[in-house]
Amino acid sequence: MIAEVVTQEPVLQFEGVSRVHGSGPTAVRALGPVSFKIRSGELVAIMGPSGSGKSTLLSLAGALDVPSSGTVRLNGRDLANRNPAELSQLRRRTVGFVFQELNLLPGLTAVENVRLPLELDGHPLGDAHQRALEELSHVGLRDLADRFPDNLSGGEQQRVAIARAFVGPRSLLLADEPTGALDSVTGESVVRLLKKQCALGRTVVIVTHDAAHAGWADRVLYLRDGEIVDETVASTAGAGGIES
Amino acid sequence: MSVRNSLLALIAAQPAHGYGLKSEFESSTAGEWPLNAGQVYTTLSRLERDGLIIPAGDSGSRGEAGELDRRAWEVTAEGREALARWFDTPVENRSPRDEVVIKVLVAIATRQANLRQVLQTQRSATMKRLQEYTRHKIEADPDEQLAWLLLLDAMILRADAEIRWLDLCEQRLKQLDEERGS
Ligand SMILES: Nc1ncnc2c1ncn2[C@@H]1O[C@H](COP(=O)(O)OP(=O)(O)OP(=O)(O)O)[C@@H](O)[C@H]1O
Ligand SMILES: [Mg+2]
Repeated sequence: MIAEVVTQEPVLQFEGVSRVHGSGPTAVRALGPVSFKIRSGELVAIMGPSGSGKSTLLSLAGALDVPSSGTVRLNGRDLANRNPAELSQLRRRTVGFVFQELNLLPGLTAVENVRLPLELDGHPLGDAHQRALEELSHVGLRDLADRFPDNLSGGEQQRVAIARAFVGPRSLLLADEPTGALDSVTGESVVRLLKKQCALGRTVVIVTHDAAHAGWADRVLYLRDGEIVDETVASTAGAGGIES
Repeated sequence: MSVRNSLLALIAAQPAHGYGLKSEFESSTAGEWPLNAGQVYTTLSRLERDGLIIPAGDSGSRGEAGELDRRAWEVTAEGREALARWFDTPVENRSPRDEVVIKVLVAIATRQANLRQVLQTQRSATMKRLQEYTRHKIEADPDEQLAWLLLLDAMILRADAEIRWLDLCEQRLKQLDEERGS
């Protein structure tokens, strides 16, 4: 009974969350207050002009930053008041991050990059390696597992980063412009991959300037000056025609 | 012009009847450009008049108007040249006229509306349309429905461009306001 209630809880929930830098007359409100919920299996895109608070929102969601007010809940639990050990465990086991660039450690091969979070989490090497290879297969890069990042294209590097962000039991992926540096077709293959991960029950929040990529999302939240000013929900109803 | 040249291209690819051409044209353009039979036959008789197509083989028992739809057509040498010219010539002179563009420009010029609201409302609607196209795209089979897929790509990128333009309008105006304010 209780388990059922827990699984219905949103994966991520912001309740009146704001982030203010500095104080007094020079204070900068980077975000909020904003409130929203993201359910398991959803792909949500965040759009908005530069400086509108998109990266701030992702950092708060991934416990890389702390709100000035309000509550961020991950799987129902308030992120506040967790000690550093709990938070770093959270980042190894629950939430994965993909940044726009410089995602991978250049001295490690693709598979070594992907298995790193598992090693840090104390998994035996053989097991970590095996799981990392599986995760690389999910992103279609099993064959390139032993390449170093320098010998991978930008799109391939992003896919490795996605594999690393998802490796282990992690179920929530936060991606800040993962398609920013990619051409349309490669960018689309990355979004397609994220969509597939959602179909497997994982949850993805992606920041993008690219409406064509945001179009893959179940919901698009549009930020302006730190506030959510619009939300578009994809209809799931049966096929409708295209009106010209 | 594009219907005329498209029918010419289909006949050049393979001699065809009027009724077949209608459905071939519609499927190669993913059903986005429905033709009526009258339009097809008018176009065919103009193509014939201009010497770009002739009745196929000797089957051409040149009947009366009523028989027109039973004729198969084939392309002439002149027809092939005309077709090559069409493919070699880029499409020019696109009009920037578009209701969204006009509405926004008029809103700015006349100040009869809350511009931010106009931009936001349009942005939201276009985004929703884009999501809809994307859903169709996800469902489309790239082997069986290539024309449909490419058409959706075109619609998606157009919607994307419109959204970028709406964002740009908003940011330019914001910049102007700030410059004037300071
Ligand atoms: N450490 C900080 N100190 C002061 N202001 C900050 C700090 N970090 C972010 N900001 C401000 O907060 C606002 C939101 O920043 P944020 O990085 O979230 O924007 P963004 O939407 O991700 O923009 P972009 O599209 O350019 O990446 C900006 O105005 C930024 O200048
Ligand atoms: Mg950012």
